[in-house]
Amino acid sequence: MKKRLISLLMVFTMVTALLTGCGGKTDNTGSGGSDSGKNPSKSSEEKTVVKWLASRPVDGAIDLTMREIAKQYSEEHGGNWELQVETTADRPSYLQKLKTLIAGNNMPDIIDIDADPYCKELVDAGMLVDVKSFLKDEGKYDDFYPIALKYQEFTDGSMYTLPLEYHVEMIWYNKEIFAANKVEVPKTVDEWLDVCAKLKANGITPISVDGVDRWPVQRYLAMLPFRDTGNDYIINLRDGKASMGDETGMKSIKFLQQMGQYFNEGFAATDYATAQSLFLDGKSAMYYIGDWEQAAMLEQYEAGKVDYFYLPTTPDGKTGANEFCVNSGIGMAFNTKTFDEKTKDFILYVIDNYGKIYAGRQQMSPIKTELPKDIKFTDLYLRIQKDMNNTGEHFLKPWDTYLDSGTNAIMQDNMLLVASGDMSAEDFIKLVDDSIAVNKQ
Amino acid sequence: MGILKDKKAFWVFLLPGLLFYILAVFYPIEESIRLSFMKWGGIGDKKFVGFDNYVLMFQDRVFYKAFFNNLIYLLIVVSMQLIIGLMFAVLLSYMKRKVTLVKTLYYVPCIVTTVAVTQLFRSMYATEPEGLINQILNAVGLNGLATSWLTNIKTVLACVSIPEGWRFTGMYMVIFYAALISLDSQVYEAAKVDGANEWQILIRIKMPLIKPILLLTLTMCLTGALRGFDIPFLLTSGGPGNVSELMSTYMYKKAFSSNQYGYGSTLAVFIIIESILVVSLLRAGFTSREDRETRKMQKLKKKGRSVKDL
Repeated sequence: MKKRLISLLMVFTMVTALLTGCGGKTDNTGSGGSDSGKNPSKSSEEKTVVKWLASRPVDGAIDLTMREIAKQYSEEHGGNWELQVETTADRPSYLQKLKTLIAGNNMPDIIDIDADPYCKELVDAGMLVDVKSFLKDEGKYDDFYPIALKYQEFTDGSMYTLPLEYHVEMIWYNKEIFAANKVEVPKTVDEWLDVCAKLKANGITPISVDGVDRWPVQRYLAMLPFRDTGNDYIINLRDGKASMGDETGMKSIKFLQQMGQYFNEGFAATDYATAQSLFLDGKSAMYYIGDWEQAAMLEQYEAGKVDYFYLPTTPDGKTGANEFCVNSGIGMAFNTKTFDEKTKDFILYVIDNYGKIYAGRQQMSPIKTELPKDIKFTDLYLRIQKDMNNTGEHFLKPWDTYLDSGTNAIMQDNMLLVASGDMSAEDFIKLVDDSIAVNKQ
Repeated sequence: MGILKDKKAFWVFLLPGLLFYILAVFYPIEESIRLSFMKWGGIGDKKFVGFDNYVLMFQDRVFYKAFFNNLIYLLIVVSMQLIIGLMFAVLLSYMKRKVTLVKTLYYVPCIVTTVAVTQLFRSMYATEPEGLINQILNAVGLNGLATSWLTNIKTVLACVSIPEGWRFTGMYMVIFYAALISLDSQVYEAAKVDGANEWQILIRIKMPLIKPILLLTLTMCLTGALRGFDIPFLLTSGGPGNVSELMSTYMYKKAFSSNQYGYGSTLAVFIIIESILVVSLLRAGFTSREDRETRKMQKLKKKGRSVKDL
């Protein structure tokens, strides 16, 4: 009898433990659900929580501006509103996180995404809000700089992402090294190659490149095709109408092979910070980066040590000297399921307030705004702003926003070998063309 | 004790562990196998494609590259961890003083986090600013050998394997050391009396005695190396190109960067099969002829006894 009692007691304890275990699990999935931000708006007497899965540098200008606006907005709504930002600046990790959430049916309310083929899949599945018609309906379309919006468009002209930044990319150079080696700022691509050759012959590293992040190397691949065809070549390549091995493609590969000799040694394992400090420490003569690094360049710029020039031209190219890589960065997109009146209201509030606060942080705003009078803008800022207002109609759109992620990974991995001379042009052409053919299906 | 004799009670105790195992291990494996027959990009419906992914895998050049890279990685990691670990353990077993200090020092790399280990080696391999390895090579006049270790396609694979080997050498050393000092000293003292030298004692007596430990560590080490991922991925993420690609890094990239969940799962299934195969081969290999014969003898003896009983 006693034994029986003990065993019953044991069974009871185990079952209770099990049930608690299961209970814990339900709790977890519950919070997972609210992570995705599906239920907060439903419990409307409570605080409204909007979740933004972001890929912006923590405490960078965009991050700070958005938090400031969200705080302001929340205060105006009696604290009954909250923007939860989860930001992962490292782009590959961010994308992996985003894709896993979406594959698990847990898409956040607001996400960051480029207008790339993956984004197109989301659009086709009806998961993203049509931002173009939203802006037009609300009369906000003309508040933005046209190129900033055009950059966010798909090839067919539709637009599902909202820009929060606006950039130009340029080649920064060390004036002292240029003067000491008697080379001039290059106007054409051929001159640029000559400058590099001369510097290298004098024992100087011509260009420092961040190969770890891949995209800086991919820009070199995109340069000549852009000069020759604008973005037509990459669009045709993506659609399978052009080959990496045709005339323009070969030119692009040859250019990368030539330029590759002038990159710093071991560039494939050089990260962003190292590449930049190589340039700033005077160990390399040139460095390709956008205006978002102007704060890092400022001190030496004001001391007359560094300056910049834009992508050199080719003799009979389609695009001109005032046309280069202009972009409005990764865009913000909205989940159709949770894009209700409350979110809409907040986004309109952002559009009205973002430009001024963002520009106040010495940043180029994609939303037209008057520069705040109480802030003194640097000469460098004003000069770049002037450049941006004078850009031409074409702009180089990064190749990774066109290619499907499979092809992009193959291109990015293998172009490093092409640049370092460890892979032949033929092998590279075959890899890229095959991947496009497979992924187009 | 009476309760434990009850079959039902066994189940009650086993159930939580079993459920956890099924949910955390068995279910994911089953899902991977199921996904490996699908084509799915993460959005919308999964499409059943039969063995297409497997056909694709065996036609994929990068798959073969990753497979053979993995073998080289395996060789480097296992030989570093086991051979060097064993060597240190043997030397340590002859040490009389400061044994604990040495043991602790050699064990330290195991408790350093992966990211820190990676950063350490990245700095040592670096060319700009010049890393430790190149500095040493330049200092001793071997400038010709200095290279960018992680981008040179001839050196990169070895360079991503070495940190993993280095890291756990100390752990295997401790395991081997514990096994060696727990041996009954009477056995080899007797051998010494019979005129065996130290080398013979080590090879003929000590090694066979710690064979079960060798099998265990080899299994741990091999399965660990087959799944090798973190350090190679952090150092080069398989690059440049696919020169240092391993099975696991390739699987991860396919599933999570290229959104080919189906194909990624196919690669994962291959890794599972590969690991099971290696472990069972290992077990078969280690059950040596002698063992098999003694087992046979025992069986025969049993039979003989039962015959006698009759």
